This record gives sequence, C-alpha cells and structure tokens, in this order.
Amino acid sequence: MSAVTSPARPASSGLSARTINRIVIYGLLALFAVFYLMPLFVMLVTSFKTMDEIQNGNMLALPQSPTIEPWFKAWGETCVGLTCAGIKGYFWNSIKMVVPAVLISTLLGALNGYVLTKWRFRGHTLVFAMMLFACFIPFQSVLLPMATILGSLGRFGVTLQNATGFNFGLGNSTVNLVFVHVVYGLGFTTLFFRNYYEAFPTELVKAAQVDGASFFQIFRRIMLPNSMPIFVVTVIYQFTNIWNDFLFASAYAGTGDVMPMTVALNNVVNTSTGVVEYNVNMAAAMIAALPTLIVYIVAGRYFVRGLMAGAVKG
Amino acid sequence: MAFLEIDGLKKRFGNVEILKGINVELEKGGFLVLVGPSGCGKSTLLNTIAGLEQITEGEIRVDGRAINDLHPSKRDIAMVFQSYALYPNMTVAGNIAFGMEMRGVPAAERQAAIDKVAKILQIGHLLNRKPSQLSGGQRQRVAMGRALVRDPKLFLFDEPLSNLDAKLRVDMRIEIKRLHATTGTTIVYVTHDQIEAMTLATKIAVMRDGEVQQFGTPAEIYNNPTNIFVADFMGSPAMNLIPAKIDGNGAGLSVVLDREARQPIVLPMPGAPAGLAAFKDKQVIFGVRPEALTDPEGAERNGSNIATADCHIEVVEPAGSDTFAVTNLGGKGVVARLRADARIQPGTSTPLAFNLSKAVFFDPATEKRIR
Repeated sequence: MSAVTSPARPASSGLSARTINRIVIYGLLALFAVFYLMPLFVMLVTSFKTMDEIQNGNMLALPQSPTIEPWFKAWGETCVGLTCAGIKGYFWNSIKMVVPAVLISTLLGALNGYVLTKWRFRGHTLVFAMMLFACFIPFQSVLLPMATILGSLGRFGVTLQNATGFNFGLGNSTVNLVFVHVVYGLGFTTLFFRNYYEAFPTELVKAAQVDGASFFQIFRRIMLPNSMPIFVVTVIYQFTNIWNDFLFASAYAGTGDVMPMTVALNNVVNTSTGVVEYNVNMAAAMIAALPTLIVYIVAGRYFVRGLMAGAVKG
Repeated sequence: MAFLEIDGLKKRFGNVEILKGINVELEKGGFLVLVGPSGCGKSTLLNTIAGLEQITEGEIRVDGRAINDLHPSKRDIAMVFQSYALYPNMTVAGNIAFGMEMRGVPAAERQAAIDKVAKILQIGHLLNRKPSQLSGGQRQRVAMGRALVRDPKLFLFDEPLSNLDAKLRVDMRIEIKRLHATTGTTIVYVTHDQIEAMTLATKIAVMRDGEVQQFGTPAEIYNNPTNIFVADFMGSPAMNLIPAKIDGNGAGLSVVLDREARQPIVLPMPGAPAGLAAFKDKQVIFGVRPEALTDPEGAERNGSNIATADCHIEVVEPAGSDTFAVTNLGGKGVVARLRADARIQPGTSTPLAFNLSKAVFFDPATEKRIR
C-alpha cells in the first residue's frame, strides 16, 4: 500500500518505506540462500583439501593447497565395505538401474495418460483414482510384499534358466530394482501425463484417426512429440527419485557388487579403518550427487513452455 | 439415388437422445450446410458421418455403400476441424502428407500431391514452416490442403471459419465457394452462421434439438420457412414476426395489426393461403421480412399485392447500403428496410409498403406455417 502512495508524499524521511521493505526482503532471501548453500559449500571445499588441512584448519576456510586427489581416491581406491576399488562400479550400477527405470516408467505413464484421456473406457475414472492411490502408498509398506514377489520372480528365473538356459534377467538385482521403481513410479508418471493430455486438443487425435493413423501411430507421431515439457518434468522427477532412493536399494540390493551408488556411499562413510577421510567422503558424496545435478541442467534447457502454440486456433 | 444418404439416423448418449431420426440426402457435387444454434446436434451429426461418433440407429450411405460401421480412415472422407487440428510437431508439408504416409503412399507420389495442393491453395512458400509460424488464415488453408490432398468422396467442414476475424472470414468463405466450384467436390459443412449457410449451400438443413426443422435449397428455406424457428433463424436482420388477427368479410380475408394509441392497420389479403380461412377472427403470427416492408418508392413495382400504411417511425438506423427503420406493430418492434437515401425522420409518420405476396403466416399454438 505504501509503495503506491509514497511517490505523492514529500521524500522527507530519507529512506522510504519501499526501500526498507526491499532491504528486509532481499536480506532475508540472501540469509536463507546462504543457510541453504552452507552444507554444499562445506562439502565442496572439504573435498579439495588435504587431510592435514581438514584436521588443523577451519571448516569454512577455502583450501590452501587445492588438490583433486580425494576425488580420484573416491572414484577408484576408497574402500566400500571390504573391497577397496572405489565407488566407480557402484556408480555404473546406479546408471544401469536408473536409465531403464526412468525410461520405462515415463513411457508407460505417457501411454496410460494417453489411454485415460483420449481412449476413454467405462470406469476410466476409477482406474485413474486407483493409480493415483499408488502415489500415497508409503515405501515402507510395500517392502515385505515386494520382497516376496521378487523372491518368486527369482525362483521363476531359475526355472527358466533350467528350461531354456537363460533366465531373462529374473532374479538379477538390477532388474529387480528397475521393476520396483517402474511399478512404484507408475502412479506419478501416469498422474503427470494424464493431466497434461487432459488439456491436449482431442481434435488432433480425431484428425489423425481420419488420416488413418493407428492407436500406437497416434501415440508415437502425435502425442509423444508434443509432450516435451511434461516428458522433461517426469524424467527429472523420476531420475531424482530413483537415483536418490536408498530404502529399496538397500533392501533388495544391499550387499556385494550389485549395490547402487546410494548404498555404496553409505558404506564408504561407515567404513571404519583408521582415520576418517572426510575429503574422500565428501568427494564421493559429490560424485553421487552429480548426475541429478546434470539432469537438472541439461534437461532444464529443454523445459520450454508453449510448445503447443500454433496447434489449434490463433 | 443421392450421393450421400442419411437414413433415420439416431444417436443416444445413455437416455439422452442427441439426434432424433435425421433424414437428409445430397446429390454428388452438392454443398450441404447443417445450420442451427449451439447444442442442436449439428456437430454430432457431422462426427457420425466422419465415424468419430458411433450411431445408435439408422444408416449412412455414400455412393450407395453403407459406411456407418467403417473406421474413419476407411470411409474415404476428409475433415477440416474447427481448431484446424494441425499437428504442431510437423511442417506444413508433413501435415498435408501425414494421411498419405499412414496409407503407405510412396514418397515421390506424396511430394507430387503436396505440390499440386500447395499450388491450388497458394501455400507453396509455407511448406517448410511449422503451424505455430502461420497466421490464422494460413492455418485455415493448410487444414483445407490436408483435406484436399486425399481427394476424398466427401469433405466435412466443422465450423471452419469461426476462429477467423470478420474480414478474413468473408475472404475464406469466397475461397471455399470457389474451391467447391472448381473441384466439384461434395461437401458437408457445419456452421451456426446463417449467412455462411445461405451463401455457400446448395442444400440447407436447419436443425434444432436434434431434429431437422427444414431441409431444402437456400431459397426455399428463406422464402418458404416451415415454422417460426426457421423463419426467425435464417435471415439478417431477422424476419418480423408480428402478432395479428385475421378478419374476414364477404370480399375476403384481411390482416389486422394492432398499434399503440392509434387505429389498427388493416391489410387486405386477396391471395391468402387456403389454410388461413380457418383462422378467421383468431390470432396468427404474421411474418414479413424487412425487405418486404419498405418505402413505397423502393417497393417492387410488379409485386402482385402491395399495401401501403402510415407507420410511426421510432428509430432510424442508416447502414450505408440500406436504411433500417423501426416501427411498432402488434406490440413489437418491426424492422423495415428502406433505400439508403430514403428521407425519413424518427418520431414522424411515414407510409410503408407491405409486400404481402412475400408475407407468411404461422399458427401461434403449433408455431407451424399456415399454408
């Protein structure tokens, strides 16, 4: 209010109410930003320090003689449990699990959204409500049932192995995690795509039908190419969730060579042999956090609004 | 046998009957316009022809072949949508060729077809653009190109001009008419704009509440409306529908129009329709179009039955090409269409000529025409 009326008044008080407001607002914002960035800053500077400096110096001080040795050590030499070959193997474990899980869950979500909005059937709202319900199921409550299911799948894999000589990936820890994350992510991805396709012009689908395109041709040629914004949102969301997941990872792939990054990082930090190498731990944590950061930066550029402009009336 | 035949078509959503038995037919090369207020079922009817909606009862035949159970792509139709429905991820050329691509037409053949259509519609310079880079009129052309390229038996247009501004709409209307004249295609066109209906159609179906109110040529619809709804809906300004009384003496019937605080106007009706005799001393609705109510100098000289009466002019609207005068008859504002240079002042009385050979009568109870 004062901002509107102040220009009419004589500027007698020196600092107008408007300026004070600005100072308070930006001051608070800056304070919170510093508060929020502090841990990241500590992690980053610590990962470039030598152990001597960490033990003797100030936690917030910049590194006196910066070294990237801790990063190499974290990547290739540090001990995870009893094996000391760095975190690189586990990093690839995570990649191998995350990429298929994100792609499959996103594509299935898109397909669900397409059917739930453009090929409606009797009871489609009920189906959608049930899928939505999946978003509210706590992780912990599915741990045991899922373990049972994965166990059965594993036994079925053994049967297949005996019968055909190939187990089709059943029983493999990475495949198991992909399966779990796809199932668990489907509720979210369906929700995203359904809401996006709800506003998608149905006339485009009708036009494609008249043009002779089939169900999947319409999906692939019309729906998917025009879904970039929601596709990117879903990929970012799924990638971050699945990459950062610790509970499912530790429950279904918590030991040995199959551990994903998150579990391995936990084991790096918990390994107690001699001195705690804070710089290596910090570097390992940074490496573990990098992919989500990269996904945000790279995918965010494609997150363009208004791709639908020009599809329908002008 | 007609080219397009729609036979007893019914469409129900649950218990709601959207289309209540439609019977329409169209000759080859004809231009059928489905016109009516929103919610009358005209777009649903078009969608059933396209195959985008299933029908509950009846049959749709094109060229003697029943098509109502065929998939849209198998019906040999092309459709232009209200929103144009151009695929935003494809170029103009891609949009036009998409249907051919789906049918597996070889690339060289597709290119030839695109070029041909682009030439007809003068969109050759736009072929590599995306729909978002086009203006409204250009999108409209591309949408028509996508339909034209299929060379279908039947074209369907779903309110194609309603998203354009007034001037462009008139231009595109002429364009569509020219296209129809040069290509000789058979077209079914949906609109709520009665001027589009009158100017484009060879046959008009006026619809209301899922029923065809009247089906005929534009002239039939305009001059011989079968009921009050059609008379009122078609024509701009609308037909004057004046409550009147029928009087009769030995000589014949006459129409009595009440006026406020003045003597009623009595118009003799020598050529009255036969059915009017039954309404002697009863109320009817007297319908006269504005152009049949004009200044005596502007009236048709050779009209068989012209009566003149002094009327009190309340409002004058000069429209450039014509001057519209509003008077009060039978308790309603009545519009007369006068020559542009007619000397007329509001608040005065002036003689107006009623062209009674163009007048029509309706039964106020049933709203049907008295013939």
